[in-house]
Amino acid sequence: MRKRLDVLICAGANCVSSHSLDIKKKLEEELEKNQLKDEVNIVETGCMGPCQLGPIMIVYPDGSFYIRLKEEDVSNIVKEHFLKGRPVKRLLWTTPEATKVIEEKKKIPFFEKQKKIVLANCGKINPENIEEYIAVGGYEALAKVLTKMSSEKVIEEITKSKLVGRGGAGFPTGLKWKFVKESQGDEKYVICNADEGDPGAFKDRAILEGDPHTVIEGMAIAGYTVGANNGYIYIRAEYPLAIKRLEIAIEQARKYGLLGKNIFETNFNFDIELRMGAGAFIAGEETALIASIEGKRGMPHQKPPYPAQKGVWGKPTLINNVETLANIRHIMLNGGDWFSSIGTENSKGTKLFALSGKVNNTGLIEIPFGLTLGEVIFDIGGGIPKGKKFKAIQMGGPSGGYITSEFLNLPVDYKEIEKTGAIIGSAGMIVLDEDNCMVNMAKFFIEFTMSESCGQCTPCRIGLKQMYDILDRITNGEGTLEDLEELEILGNQIKSTSLCALGGTAPNPVLTGLKYFRDEFIEHVVNKKCRAGVCASLFYAPCVNSCPAGVDVPRYLAHMTAGRLKEAFLIHMEHNPFPSVCARVCPAFCENPCERGKFDESIAIREVKRLFADWATESGVEFAPPQKLKKEKVAIVGSGPAGLSCAFYLTRLGYKPVLFESLPVPGGMMQVGIPDYRLPKDALEQEIKRIVKSGVDLRLNSPVNSVKELKDMGFDAIFISVGAHCSEQLGVKSEELKGVIGGIEFLQDISLKRKNINLKDKKVIVVGGGSTAMDAARTALRVGSKDVSVVYRRSREEMPAQASEINEAMEEGIKFYFLTNPVEFSGNKRIEKVKCIKMEFKGFDKSGRRRPIPKEGSKFEIEGDLVLLCIGQRPELSKFSEELETNKNGTLKVDKVTLETNIKGVYAGGDAVLGPSTVVEAVEQGRKASIFIDKFFGYDGEFSFPQRDIVETSFNEDEYLKVIPRKTPKLEEIEKRIKSFVEVNKGLLLEEAIEESKRCLKCDRGKEIYREREKIVGELEEVA
Amino acid sequence: MTKEKIIKSFEKKPENLLLALHSLQENNVNHYLTKDDLMEISKYFSLPYSFVYGVASFYSMFSFKPRGKYIVRVCKSPPCHLMGASSIIDELKKVLRINFGETTKDNLFTLEFSSCLGVCGVAPAMMINEEVFGNLTPQRIRKIIEEKREEK
Repeated sequence: MRKRLDVLICAGANCVSSHSLDIKKKLEEELEKNQLKDEVNIVETGCMGPCQLGPIMIVYPDGSFYIRLKEEDVSNIVKEHFLKGRPVKRLLWTTPEATKVIEEKKKIPFFEKQKKIVLANCGKINPENIEEYIAVGGYEALAKVLTKMSSEKVIEEITKSKLVGRGGAGFPTGLKWKFVKESQGDEKYVICNADEGDPGAFKDRAILEGDPHTVIEGMAIAGYTVGANNGYIYIRAEYPLAIKRLEIAIEQARKYGLLGKNIFETNFNFDIELRMGAGAFIAGEETALIASIEGKRGMPHQKPPYPAQKGVWGKPTLINNVETLANIRHIMLNGGDWFSSIGTENSKGTKLFALSGKVNNTGLIEIPFGLTLGEVIFDIGGGIPKGKKFKAIQMGGPSGGYITSEFLNLPVDYKEIEKTGAIIGSAGMIVLDEDNCMVNMAKFFIEFTMSESCGQCTPCRIGLKQMYDILDRITNGEGTLEDLEELEILGNQIKSTSLCALGGTAPNPVLTGLKYFRDEFIEHVVNKKCRAGVCASLFYAPCVNSCPAGVDVPRYLAHMTAGRLKEAFLIHMEHNPFPSVCARVCPAFCENPCERGKFDESIAIREVKRLFADWATESGVEFAPPQKLKKEKVAIVGSGPAGLSCAFYLTRLGYKPVLFESLPVPGGMMQVGIPDYRLPKDALEQEIKRIVKSGVDLRLNSPVNSVKELKDMGFDAIFISVGAHCSEQLGVKSEELKGVIGGIEFLQDISLKRKNINLKDKKVIVVGGGSTAMDAARTALRVGSKDVSVVYRRSREEMPAQASEINEAMEEGIKFYFLTNPVEFSGNKRIEKVKCIKMEFKGFDKSGRRRPIPKEGSKFEIEGDLVLLCIGQRPELSKFSEELETNKNGTLKVDKVTLETNIKGVYAGGDAVLGPSTVVEAVEQGRKASIFIDKFFGYDGEFSFPQRDIVETSFNEDEYLKVIPRKTPKLEEIEKRIKSFVEVNKGLLLEEAIEESKRCLKCDRGKEIYREREKIVGELEEVA
Repeated sequence: MTKEKIIKSFEKKPENLLLALHSLQENNVNHYLTKDDLMEISKYFSLPYSFVYGVASFYSMFSFKPRGKYIVRVCKSPPCHLMGASSIIDELKKVLRINFGETTKDNLFTLEFSSCLGVCGVAPAMMINEEVFGNLTPQRIRKIIEEKREEK
């Protein structure tokens, strides 16, 4: 009797490790309990693909795709779905974008772009039952070949198909079969290479565990074609599940007469024996594999002779990869032309890939050649988890290389991938994000190949060890620039002189690492910095490592656990004199890599900071000006965060700097660009006052016209920090209409009260997606407009503004038009309408973001009385243009290490150098400049902050090593918010901040005294 | 099965050497090959002792030191590494109180590194004898070790 429902449970190795077989057992129990045993058919299948979501279960005929099942879920599914016909929605697969649960398998983005030929049966049939294989057409190809095709015809079809080896070398399969067939010999052999040892590769195991007969059939066809009666499958011992399934399959095939004598009543005999490896990666190399089968040490030998002439036992041998053999029967059934119609010019058919690493949908996929890498990672793979930034794909295992974001539009194709320096190889794609260190990865791969080297040839045996030692020193902070050169020389030498492909390709991860991520390697050796926060010897704690100013976060958090506000404040001031400002507006780079975030949620560092920052403001803590002043005079142009920071740190170094500000108020963008509801003016003013009182001569309403002017006034060194206050233009028609102004200019007008602005009954359109756009939109709301829209050309996920800003803006009733771009302004002398076009994503741009292109025929209009352009800012440098060199993008050109401009003694920093960035980055530049100015005068650039002691602190594991959500501050009520500029974020209470600090895992425990890190290492000469 | 029976189950062909070594090692409750094992194989297959030793010592899965009942193999290949294998490694060292390459005093567990286990979809991963464990966290490690202890 045909059963009503078929329930497929994935029993591939990954799901089995997630206890899918326990789910099956529970299901059997529940079916028994509910008397459904006769109506529901349970099938244990091979790998279904999305390994991260296991245990997986699919119910047919409706195609419901259940994921991440637990034993408790089973009875629910049986009752609701099997008995009552209602699939349990909360257990079905949803993707991050899908607001609707995707109920059918074929609509799931993971599967939509795949094309399953090799994996056609995987996940559909029970691999331990040959009858299911036969029922879906298994062994038909073998029958056809044995009874209707000559071996020449077989080779002809395979040659037509243009199938190439799927093990990594990509040698044309038709040609290889021809060589073996034509080889002289009475005895020939067919070997299936199932020694899949490349880290990151798990495609072959899926085929063997999910559809072993497809490989057996392929081998039999191969045997017939080349004239071999015996086959070996060489499989690594680390795959016990695959071994078991193969043993069962071979046994069943023999029983059914598909292996053995007179197959299909022809006079073709063929049988297969299993051979196991024993933990030697090199045994995957064909000559080493042969040696291993012969019972010897698995060491490769020189080629020629090739196995096709002299293989196992000295006889002609055909060696093919599992996936190659799995393709054969399809080509026999559908023809070579069919196969070569799939794919690209150079790469035909489909390819299996194993996705792992930092991608949402890890697992096994099969795609036609020609799909782009971006589609694989972002559509099928579902993108990078936790909103992190994509860094690179490591493809091809230890023989491979890196593919960076500029190649995301590249089609998956042997030749195209090779152009980047990577190879498809064993088809493992390890996705890396911003938290991965490329130097560390390079070291890891070399460690692997070094330990798997068979030892025969000197370049590999000794050379790889040399490379490893160099990389080890670099990750421990002892590397030099010469080491990088040495790595390249060694790498190339090893590649060209090694005996086999292990040595021949082992240097690739290092060489491609140096090619695409040279900056990171240089940072490791020159700056002793690991930007990803991985090489533990190079950083103190991940939060400090990510803070552009290097503020000692763990130390002040430690003080905060005991409520020591003053000590916490003083530590912050050593690196950043704006705790109050940053507590409110910093994007909190420190919170991103917070280790606590991997456990539950990252520490709310910014919110904790606010407590001691506001305390300091209230209690009026001051820094006394230096008692003895150094004789040199320093001028600073621009009193934004860079200028004020430079001024403060210069006072700590013994100077009395003169700070020139052209506006009537100090603070730069902090004062005029960030509205009060985010940064209350008195908080800012107190911090500026504190800096001025520390010994700064602040001169307002004092514009500077040239460097020469300052030099004439007798200044010995100058720091230029004029910021970037000019709004960029869109470059569209009629941009000069009245009512189209820059967002920054609008914010400045309001904060300086230059114009009395009331936007009652006015429609406002803000163009842009960053903080300035959010500030402009929310300010427009607060000065009377009830109709504010934001137009942004990308999607919400890509908006550069902080998530909290976007949420708060939406709460306040601001409308958002995503994937929309203005193309024309229209009106009679004054703006009346903005014509926009909808955008859609097609491919990726060089930075790895989806590329928006205009959607044909989707123009529409929005009415507007005021348009605020917030698409970026440029520095206004016309006054200095004759004296100072600029970069192509209009920012000031400075030395990367010292921040010196082309004029000796003249330094620059902040937005004027970086382009629009953040307060904390400007602060870092100001502080750095102060050090180099001090050195310029011949002093040592060392601050006289109080000597640090070890802070006594403890961590109560029982209380704090469990899931504790992060504290979030209360926000002002929406009605109150939109009527005034009252501060929106009310901040945490002191008790809450203390509790929050106690969650810190103290990653700095046991590390050297922080002061050691202050040494800025040398000055870079010519950095290639 | 006795050692002799196991060896005799193989045809006297040198190609059966690896299988024979595997079988003898599995037959030993401490998962290792003794000098005696190698001697027996050398005699049976008519191969020099040094040759047998040379083959056995080439492959990393053969051990000449007694090991525990459960061999814990932790994958330290790049996919597992970048998904957090180092905290798994630390946790195992802590829970079992031994270093890698060592066996616990009660002979229950041996800790070893392994190359890629081929289950990168659920990284970080480890194998205990033939069982695969994926999506490991320090908490899961503790639980798994507890369960194995109880299985005694």
